Amino acid sequence: MKVTNIRKTFGGVTALDGVNMEIDKGKMTMLIGPNGSGKTTLINVVSGFYKPDEGQVLFEGRDITGKAPNEVSRQGLIRTFQVPAPFIKLSVMENLLLASEGNPGESFLRAPLRSRWIKKESEIYNRAGRVLELLNLRLPDQLAGELSGGQLKLLEVGRALMTNARMVALDEPASGLNPTLAHKIFEHLDEIKRDFALTLLIIEHRLDIALQYVDYVYAMANGSVISHGKGEEVMNDPKVIEGYLGGTCT
Amino acid sequence: MLDSTGLFVLNLLASLAPFLIVTVSLNLEYGYAGIPNFGKTLAVAGGAFVAGVIPGRFLAFLFGIGKNLSYIDDNKQIVSAINRQLVTDPVLSIGIIILTLIMAVLIGALLGLLIAYPVARLRTDYLGMTFLAFGQVILVIGNNFPPLVGGTLGVSVPDPFAFVSVYSIFDLLPGEMRNLFVITFMSIVALLVFLFARRLTRSPLGRVLRAIRDDENSALALGKDVQRNRIIIMIFSSAIAALAGALYAMYTANVFSTTYSRTTWTFWPWVMVILGGAANDLGIVSGTFIFVAVRQIISYYREFFEPILPFNIVWLDTLLLGLALLFILIYRPEGLIREKPIKTIKIESLSVEESKKASIKQTSGFREELKKIIETLLKLPKKKETEEI
Repeated sequence: MKVTNIRKTFGGVTALDGVNMEIDKGKMTMLIGPNGSGKTTLINVVSGFYKPDEGQVLFEGRDITGKAPNEVSRQGLIRTFQVPAPFIKLSVMENLLLASEGNPGESFLRAPLRSRWIKKESEIYNRAGRVLELLNLRLPDQLAGELSGGQLKLLEVGRALMTNARMVALDEPASGLNPTLAHKIFEHLDEIKRDFALTLLIIEHRLDIALQYVDYVYAMANGSVISHGKGEEVMNDPKVIEGYLGGTCT
Repeated sequence: MLDSTGLFVLNLLASLAPFLIVTVSLNLEYGYAGIPNFGKTLAVAGGAFVAGVIPGRFLAFLFGIGKNLSYIDDNKQIVSAINRQLVTDPVLSIGIIILTLIMAVLIGALLGLLIAYPVARLRTDYLGMTFLAFGQVILVIGNNFPPLVGGTLGVSVPDPFAFVSVYSIFDLLPGEMRNLFVITFMSIVALLVFLFARRLTRSPLGRVLRAIRDDENSALALGKDVQRNRIIIMIFSSAIAALAGALYAMYTANVFSTTYSRTTWTFWPWVMVILGGAANDLGIVSGTFIFVAVRQIISYYREFFEPILPFNIVWLDTLLLGLALLFILIYRPEGLIREKPIKTIKIESLSVEESKKASIKQTSGFREELKKIIETLLKLPKKKETEEI
């Protein structure tokens, strides 16, 4: 994915000020930066929730700038939300089944004809079973509204896996989790990345944990990229230390 | 002749059938898609107006009746002349019934399309208020524009069911024969509508609608076309509701716009859905049944209630249902029967190997659901998986 010169303002506030980024296929890329530096805004722009004022988003060579969120996700780019947004009155299983694309039973004309969608539905069912197994989340019949915070985070990841996504943008997948669970989430992500050949873009503040898993890091501050490179390089960049880590490492 | 029990059951079905159609329709909108339609009466009245406007004029033209008369001013005269001819012609009568229902469905769909416009742009309270206004507008037009359905005086609807009264079974009187036939017909239509809506929602589509209701942005992020689904459900449910209006108008053989008041065809269906449990088929059936039965019992035993009540009996049903609504909202806001996850496929275990082997069985539907509800009502200890990650 390639992001060129993205600008986004809200009234007088410039949230993104000419962001350039290149995310390699099949890699886990992390986006760091202080609160308000524009990380989530960038994901919102990339996933179609916000329209950028300027700039271009290319995904697998195709221009997806300003497309509607459902169109972007159909192109294979899925995002999760910082605050998990499950369908609370649906079971875990239903939450997963929903995420799958191209189910003929979701059309009004074919929904009443069971025979038209049952084959696809059972395929999706099996896939959902595997995803639950993979995430170690064996509660298919639990209502999503009754899950714990950590389980919800896993469900978000699970939903992304149910799609035919080739790239997933995760907004703080490990926030609010204890270190063991956070490690587990990243282990899962690493495993998934390899198994499904996924490209991952991750916003995360838990640097101690995340850095062990990621391939590449972008650091943002005040709406622009201030540094990028391998984890070590970025962490030792004086601008990052100044802007994000608070200058304590000097 | 019908005995009092027969009459009771028949009258019960006569209100149950049209209300069930309306609650099924409201449940699709509110229960599944989360659209707060406070203008339910728009589509219902639309369907009834179709029955009041089209068949009468069409038949008058066909039979050459009332060429020098005004259809509205000399309505009684024209319609009784039509009925005298219609009673001898079962084929035409059946044709008229079908034609009226098809027209009602089309007009209903059109009205649905009309209100789909704000649905696509507004949310929650604003949308609810817009609906309320839409529902009121059609009643004001009906009441003040006589050429439509006779304004305050209403219009008679030709009775395409009259031909049945010629035949007689079980020594029924002609009027009873006719009512028995109409009510049976309405009940069958209601049942078909219910079963179709159930089939429609117990599918991946039902899941998508509930997801849109729970979290629109998440649904968008997963590639669901929220707008399109909301608009289609609006059109579909309005078409269904219009069917109820047309059936009811044909059953009562007249249309007064005051009959299709906000209270009766918007608020009552809302109470039924909330009482029974939104997004649960069994829930809305029980909600509708309880509501209709309570009203009917009160009206049947009014002599019994009247002396012991300190107020006029006409307020009793409204009062009781208001109280019931309060209690439901305080103690069981999900309704008597809660929403359940929909299982499109039944697979016992979900471990990797087993799910591959598991056979796909048709869900057994109602019986299973009923069993589960009895279980929960009896609060049988149920094993709950508490495996934490």
